[in-house]
Amino acid sequence: MYRSVIALLLLLGEYASAHQFTPTYPTLRQAHVSGVMLLNMSLFNNRKEIEWYSINIFDKDWNSLAFASTDKLINLGYLERKNIEVYIRTRDKDRIVYVCSKSKTLATVKNPSIITSRICSKVKNEVFNSNNLTTG
Amino acid sequence: MINTLPERRKPLNRIFLMKKSLILLAALPCVALANVPIMGTVESKCVIQTDTTGVYGNPSPSELSTSGTAGGVQPIVRYDILAADHYKAVISYPNSFSSSPELPDVVNWTGGVTVGQTSDAGMSAFEAAKIEYNNTVEFDLTIAGSVWFDVDSTADYGYDKSFPAGDYTAMVLAECIAQ
Repeated sequence: MYRSVIALLLLLGEYASAHQFTPTYPTLRQAHVSGVMLLNMSLFNNRKEIEWYSINIFDKDWNSLAFASTDKLINLGYLERKNIEVYIRTRDKDRIVYVCSKSKTLATVKNPSIITSRICSKVKNEVFNSNNLTTG
Repeated sequence: MINTLPERRKPLNRIFLMKKSLILLAALPCVALANVPIMGTVESKCVIQTDTTGVYGNPSPSELSTSGTAGGVQPIVRYDILAADHYKAVISYPNSFSSSPELPDVVNWTGGVTVGQTSDAGMSAFEAAKIEYNNTVEFDLTIAGSVWFDVDSTADYGYDKSFPAGDYTAMVLAECIAQ
Protein backbone atom coordinates (compact mmCIF):
# COMPACT_ATOMS: atom_id res chain seq x y z
CA MET A 1 0.00 0.00 0.00
CA TYR A 2 2.72 2.45 1.11
CA ARG A 3 4.75 1.51 -1.95
CA SER A 4 1.87 2.36 -4.30
CA VAL A 5 1.28 5.69 -2.55
CA ILE A 6 4.98 6.59 -2.82
CA ALA A 7 5.02 5.54 -6.49
CA LEU A 8 1.90 7.62 -7.17
CA LEU A 9 3.42 10.65 -5.44
CA LEU A 10 6.62 10.24 -7.45
CA LEU A 11 4.64 9.95 -10.67
CA LEU A 12 2.56 13.03 -9.85
CA GLY A 13 5.69 14.96 -8.95
CA GLU A 14 7.33 13.94 -12.19
CA TYR A 15 4.24 14.62 -14.24
CA ALA A 16 3.96 18.32 -13.43
CA SER A 17 7.29 19.11 -15.01
CA ALA A 18 9.09 21.01 -17.72
CA HIS A 19 7.72 23.60 -20.05
CA GLN A 20 3.94 24.00 -20.26
CA PHE A 21 1.96 26.53 -22.27
CA THR A 22 -1.83 26.42 -22.06
CA PRO A 23 -4.58 26.50 -23.25
CA THR A 24 -4.06 24.40 -26.37
CA TYR A 25 -6.83 26.23 -28.22
CA PRO A 26 -7.13 29.79 -26.83
CA THR A 27 -10.03 32.00 -27.86
CA LEU A 28 -9.80 35.65 -28.82
CA ARG A 29 -11.79 38.09 -26.69
CA GLN A 30 -12.53 41.73 -27.21
CA ALA A 31 -10.12 43.84 -25.14
CA HIS A 32 -11.30 46.87 -23.19
CA VAL A 33 -9.81 49.05 -25.96
CA SER A 34 -11.60 49.10 -29.32
CA GLY A 35 -9.66 47.67 -32.28
CA VAL A 36 -7.70 45.35 -30.01
CA MET A 37 -8.33 41.70 -29.13
CA LEU A 38 -7.00 39.74 -26.21
CA LEU A 39 -5.64 36.22 -25.62
CA ASN A 40 -5.09 34.81 -22.14
CA MET A 41 -2.27 32.30 -21.88
CA SER A 42 -0.54 30.55 -19.01
CA LEU A 43 3.14 29.59 -18.90
CA PHE A 44 4.70 27.19 -16.40
CA ASN A 45 8.43 26.58 -15.99
CA ASN A 46 9.81 23.44 -14.44
CA ARG A 47 13.12 23.55 -16.27
CA LYS A 48 15.83 24.33 -13.73
CA GLU A 49 18.31 25.47 -16.36
CA ILE A 50 15.88 27.90 -18.05
CA GLU A 51 14.83 31.29 -16.66
CA TRP A 52 13.66 33.11 -19.76
CA TYR A 53 10.88 32.52 -22.27
CA SER A 54 9.78 34.51 -25.30
CA ILE A 55 6.30 34.85 -26.78
CA ASN A 56 5.61 34.99 -30.51
CA ILE A 57 2.56 35.03 -32.74
CA PHE A 58 2.33 33.61 -36.27
CA ASP A 59 -0.13 33.21 -39.12
CA LYS A 60 -0.81 29.86 -40.85
CA ASP A 61 2.39 30.21 -42.93
CA TRP A 62 4.49 30.97 -39.85
CA ASN A 63 4.88 34.66 -40.69
CA SER A 64 5.32 36.71 -37.56
CA LEU A 65 2.43 38.99 -36.56
CA ALA A 66 2.55 42.19 -34.53
CA PHE A 67 1.34 41.93 -30.95
CA ALA A 68 1.67 43.60 -27.58
CA SER A 69 2.12 41.97 -24.22
CA THR A 70 3.15 42.96 -20.74
CA ASP A 71 6.36 41.02 -21.34
CA LYS A 72 7.65 39.70 -24.67
CA LEU A 73 10.63 38.23 -22.87
CA ILE A 74 9.44 36.61 -19.67
CA ASN A 75 11.61 35.98 -16.66
CA LEU A 76 10.18 32.87 -15.05
CA GLY A 77 11.82 31.16 -12.10
CA TYR A 78 11.89 27.42 -11.50
CA LEU A 79 8.38 26.10 -10.70
CA GLU A 80 6.83 29.50 -11.40
CA ARG A 81 3.61 30.02 -13.35
CA LYS A 82 2.66 33.24 -15.09
CA ASN A 83 -0.59 34.32 -16.73
CA ILE A 84 0.12 36.31 -19.86
CA GLU A 85 -2.17 38.69 -21.71
CA VAL A 86 -1.41 38.97 -25.42
CA TYR A 87 -3.02 41.80 -27.39
CA ILE A 88 -3.41 41.74 -31.17
CA ARG A 89 -5.04 44.12 -33.65
CA THR A 90 -8.66 43.25 -34.49
CA ARG A 91 -7.76 43.39 -38.18
CA ASP A 92 -5.36 40.45 -37.58
CA LYS A 93 -7.96 38.29 -35.83
CA ASP A 94 -8.52 36.11 -38.92
CA ARG A 95 -4.79 35.78 -39.62
CA ILE A 96 -3.53 34.69 -36.22
CA VAL A 97 -3.08 30.92 -35.95
CA TYR A 98 -0.18 30.09 -33.64
CA VAL A 99 0.77 31.55 -30.25
CA CYS A 100 4.14 30.18 -29.17
CA SER A 101 6.37 30.28 -26.12
CA LYS A 102 10.04 29.40 -26.54
CA SER A 103 12.72 28.84 -23.94
CA LYS A 104 15.72 31.16 -24.10
CA THR A 105 19.20 30.20 -23.01
CA LEU A 106 21.71 32.67 -21.66
CA ALA A 107 24.98 32.94 -23.56
CA THR A 108 26.80 32.20 -20.33
CA VAL A 109 25.38 28.64 -20.21
CA LYS A 110 28.21 26.33 -21.25
CA ASN A 111 26.35 23.03 -21.70
CA PRO A 112 27.74 21.22 -24.74
CA SER A 113 24.21 20.51 -25.96
CA ILE A 114 21.19 22.53 -25.00
CA ILE A 115 17.57 21.65 -25.60
CA THR A 116 15.38 24.58 -26.57
CA SER A 117 11.69 23.91 -26.11
CA ARG A 118 8.88 25.62 -27.97
CA ILE A 119 5.16 25.00 -27.46
CA CYS A 120 2.61 26.49 -29.85
CA SER A 121 -1.10 26.79 -29.17
CA LYS A 122 -3.54 27.19 -32.02
CA VAL A 123 -6.19 29.88 -32.28
CA LYS A 124 -9.24 28.40 -33.93
CA ASN A 125 -10.45 31.53 -35.69
CA GLU A 126 -12.90 31.96 -38.58
CA VAL A 127 -10.24 31.13 -41.21
CA PHE A 128 -9.40 27.85 -39.46
CA ASN A 129 -13.06 26.92 -39.11
CA SER A 130 -13.93 27.78 -42.71
CA ASN A 131 -10.91 25.76 -43.95
CA ASN A 132 -12.04 22.82 -41.87
CA LEU A 133 -15.55 23.07 -43.28
CA THR A 134 -14.28 23.06 -46.86
CA THR A 135 -11.86 20.17 -46.29
CA GLY A 136 -14.24 18.21 -44.05
CA MET B 1 -52.88 43.65 41.35
CA ILE B 2 -49.87 41.64 42.11
CA ASN B 3 -47.11 41.58 39.52
CA THR B 4 -45.24 38.32 39.56
CA LEU B 5 -41.55 38.56 38.82
CA PRO B 6 -40.19 36.26 36.09
CA GLU B 7 -38.66 33.21 37.52
CA ARG B 8 -34.89 33.44 37.56
CA ARG B 9 -33.01 30.79 35.68
CA LYS B 10 -31.43 28.22 37.78
CA PRO B 11 -27.58 28.25 37.76
CA LEU B 12 -27.54 24.74 36.19
CA ASN B 13 -29.61 25.94 33.20
CA ARG B 14 -27.28 28.89 32.64
CA ILE B 15 -24.23 26.62 32.48
CA PHE B 16 -26.03 24.38 29.98
CA LEU B 17 -26.86 27.39 27.73
CA MET B 18 -23.27 28.63 27.88
CA LYS B 19 -21.99 25.20 26.86
CA LYS B 20 -24.39 25.17 23.89
CA SER B 21 -23.15 28.56 22.68
CA LEU B 22 -19.53 27.41 23.00
CA ILE B 23 -20.24 24.29 20.94
CA LEU B 24 -21.97 26.41 18.26
CA LEU B 25 -19.04 28.84 18.22
CA ALA B 26 -16.55 26.02 17.87
CA ALA B 27 -18.56 24.49 15.02
CA LEU B 28 -18.54 27.73 12.98
CA PRO B 29 -15.10 27.35 11.36
CA CYS B 30 -15.95 23.76 10.39
CA VAL B 31 -19.05 25.00 8.59
CA ALA B 32 -16.97 27.61 6.74
CA LEU B 33 -14.33 25.04 5.68
CA ALA B 34 -17.00 22.71 4.38
CA ASN B 35 -17.94 25.30 1.74
CA VAL B 36 -14.46 25.63 0.20
CA PRO B 37 -14.67 24.16 -3.30
CA ILE B 38 -12.00 21.89 -4.72
CA MET B 39 -11.41 22.83 -8.31
CA GLY B 40 -9.56 21.04 -11.05
CA THR B 41 -9.22 21.43 -14.79
CA VAL B 42 -8.46 18.71 -17.24
CA GLU B 43 -7.29 20.17 -20.52
CA SER B 44 -5.35 18.94 -23.49
CA LYS B 45 -1.76 19.97 -23.19
CA CYS B 46 1.72 19.02 -24.25
CA VAL B 47 4.60 19.03 -21.80
CA ILE B 48 8.19 19.03 -23.02
CA GLN B 49 10.71 17.68 -20.56
CA THR B 50 14.44 17.60 -21.09
CA ASP B 51 15.28 14.12 -19.88
CA THR B 52 19.00 14.23 -20.72
CA THR B 53 20.95 17.17 -22.06
CA GLY B 54 23.47 15.70 -24.46
CA VAL B 55 27.24 15.83 -24.45
CA TYR B 56 29.50 15.75 -27.50
CA GLY B 57 32.19 13.13 -27.48
CA ASN B 58 35.37 13.76 -29.46
CA PRO B 59 36.32 10.36 -30.95
CA SER B 60 38.68 11.94 -33.49
CA PRO B 61 40.15 15.47 -33.78
CA SER B 62 37.78 16.28 -36.66
CA GLU B 63 34.57 14.90 -35.17
CA LEU B 64 32.15 15.76 -32.40
CA SER B 65 29.35 13.26 -31.81
CA THR B 66 26.64 12.54 -29.24
CA SER B 67 26.84 8.82 -30.03
CA GLY B 68 27.65 6.57 -27.08
CA THR B 69 30.34 4.77 -29.07
CA ALA B 70 32.03 8.14 -29.69
CA GLY B 71 32.10 8.88 -25.97
CA GLY B 72 29.15 11.23 -26.13
CA VAL B 73 25.74 11.31 -24.47
CA GLN B 74 22.54 11.40 -26.54
CA PRO B 75 20.12 14.21 -25.73
CA ILE B 76 16.73 12.75 -24.78
CA VAL B 77 13.51 14.75 -24.81
CA ARG B 78 10.31 13.50 -23.22
CA TYR B 79 6.88 14.56 -24.42
CA ASP B 80 3.84 14.10 -22.17
CA ILE B 81 0.59 14.22 -24.12
CA LEU B 82 -2.70 14.46 -22.24
CA ALA B 83 -5.02 14.02 -25.20
CA ALA B 84 -4.33 12.25 -28.49
CA ASP B 85 -4.43 13.97 -31.90
CA HIS B 86 -4.04 17.50 -30.54
CA TYR B 87 -0.30 18.04 -31.04
CA LYS B 88 2.62 17.12 -33.24
CA ALA B 89 6.20 16.90 -32.03
CA VAL B 90 8.75 18.69 -34.21
CA ILE B 91 12.37 18.06 -33.24
CA SER B 92 15.36 19.65 -34.97
CA TYR B 93 18.90 18.42 -34.44
CA PRO B 94 21.67 21.05 -34.65
CA ASN B 95 22.99 22.39 -37.97
CA SER B 96 25.30 25.00 -36.47
CA PHE B 97 27.09 25.76 -33.21
CA SER B 98 25.45 28.37 -31.04
CA SER B 99 28.86 29.10 -29.53
CA SER B 100 32.30 27.85 -30.51
CA PRO B 101 35.83 29.02 -31.17
CA GLU B 102 36.37 30.63 -34.59
CA LEU B 103 35.92 28.02 -37.34
CA PRO B 104 37.31 29.16 -40.70
CA ASP B 105 36.40 25.88 -42.46
CA VAL B 106 33.04 24.21 -43.13
CA VAL B 107 31.31 21.99 -40.56
CA ASN B 108 29.28 19.09 -41.99
CA TRP B 109 26.31 18.24 -39.83
CA THR B 110 24.41 14.96 -39.67
CA GLY B 111 21.86 13.74 -37.17
CA GLY B 112 18.57 12.07 -36.55
CA VAL B 113 15.69 11.65 -34.13
CA THR B 114 14.26 8.27 -33.13
CA VAL B 115 11.48 7.12 -30.83
CA GLY B 116 12.99 5.72 -27.64
CA GLN B 117 10.95 4.57 -24.64
CA THR B 118 7.17 4.82 -24.75
CA SER B 119 4.42 4.51 -22.15
CA ASP B 120 2.15 2.81 -24.70
CA ALA B 121 3.24 0.00 -27.02
CA GLY B 122 1.26 1.55 -29.89
CA MET B 123 3.56 4.58 -29.83
CA SER B 124 6.25 2.61 -31.67
CA ALA B 125 4.18 3.43 -34.78
CA PHE B 126 5.33 7.06 -34.40
CA GLU B 127 8.72 5.98 -35.77
CA ALA B 128 7.30 4.54 -39.02
CA ALA B 129 5.05 7.55 -39.60
CA LYS B 130 7.68 10.23 -38.96
CA ILE B 131 8.33 12.90 -41.57
CA GLU B 132 11.91 14.12 -42.12
CA TYR B 133 13.09 17.26 -43.88
CA ASN B 134 16.31 19.28 -43.60
CA ASN B 135 17.45 18.80 -40.01
CA THR B 136 13.89 18.40 -38.70
CA VAL B 137 11.76 15.37 -37.85
CA GLU B 138 8.00 15.51 -37.27
CA PHE B 139 5.91 13.03 -35.29
CA ASP B 140 2.11 13.01 -35.10
CA LEU B 141 1.22 12.44 -31.46
CA THR B 142 -1.81 10.26 -32.12
CA ILE B 143 -1.70 8.39 -28.80
CA ALA B 144 -1.87 9.97 -25.35
CA GLY B 145 0.92 9.20 -22.89
CA SER B 146 4.66 9.76 -22.60
CA VAL B 147 7.22 9.26 -25.32
CA TRP B 148 10.98 9.73 -25.22
CA PHE B 149 12.83 10.91 -28.34
CA ASP B 150 16.57 10.20 -28.74
CA VAL B 151 18.49 12.80 -30.73
CA ASP B 152 21.72 12.09 -32.62
CA SER B 153 24.08 14.82 -33.70
CA THR B 154 27.49 14.64 -35.38
CA ALA B 155 29.69 17.49 -36.57
CA ASP B 156 32.59 16.81 -38.99
CA TYR B 157 35.06 19.61 -39.48
CA GLY B 158 36.57 20.42 -42.87
CA TYR B 159 38.45 17.63 -44.61
CA ASP B 160 39.93 15.73 -41.66
CA LYS B 161 40.83 19.00 -39.96
CA SER B 162 41.13 19.23 -36.21
CA PHE B 163 38.53 21.22 -34.30
CA PRO B 164 40.24 24.14 -32.51
CA ALA B 165 40.37 23.70 -28.74
CA GLY B 166 37.56 25.37 -26.81
CA ASP B 167 33.93 25.06 -25.72
CA TYR B 168 31.31 24.04 -28.27
CA THR B 169 27.58 24.44 -27.77
CA ALA B 170 24.80 23.34 -30.13
CA MET B 171 21.02 23.53 -29.75
CA VAL B 172 18.37 20.86 -30.14
CA LEU B 173 14.95 22.43 -30.75
CA ALA B 174 12.02 20.44 -29.37
CA GLU B 175 8.63 21.80 -30.40
CA CYS B 176 5.06 20.86 -29.68
CA ILE B 177 2.64 22.35 -32.21
CA ALA B 178 -1.12 22.26 -31.71
CA GLN B 179 -2.98 20.75 -34.69
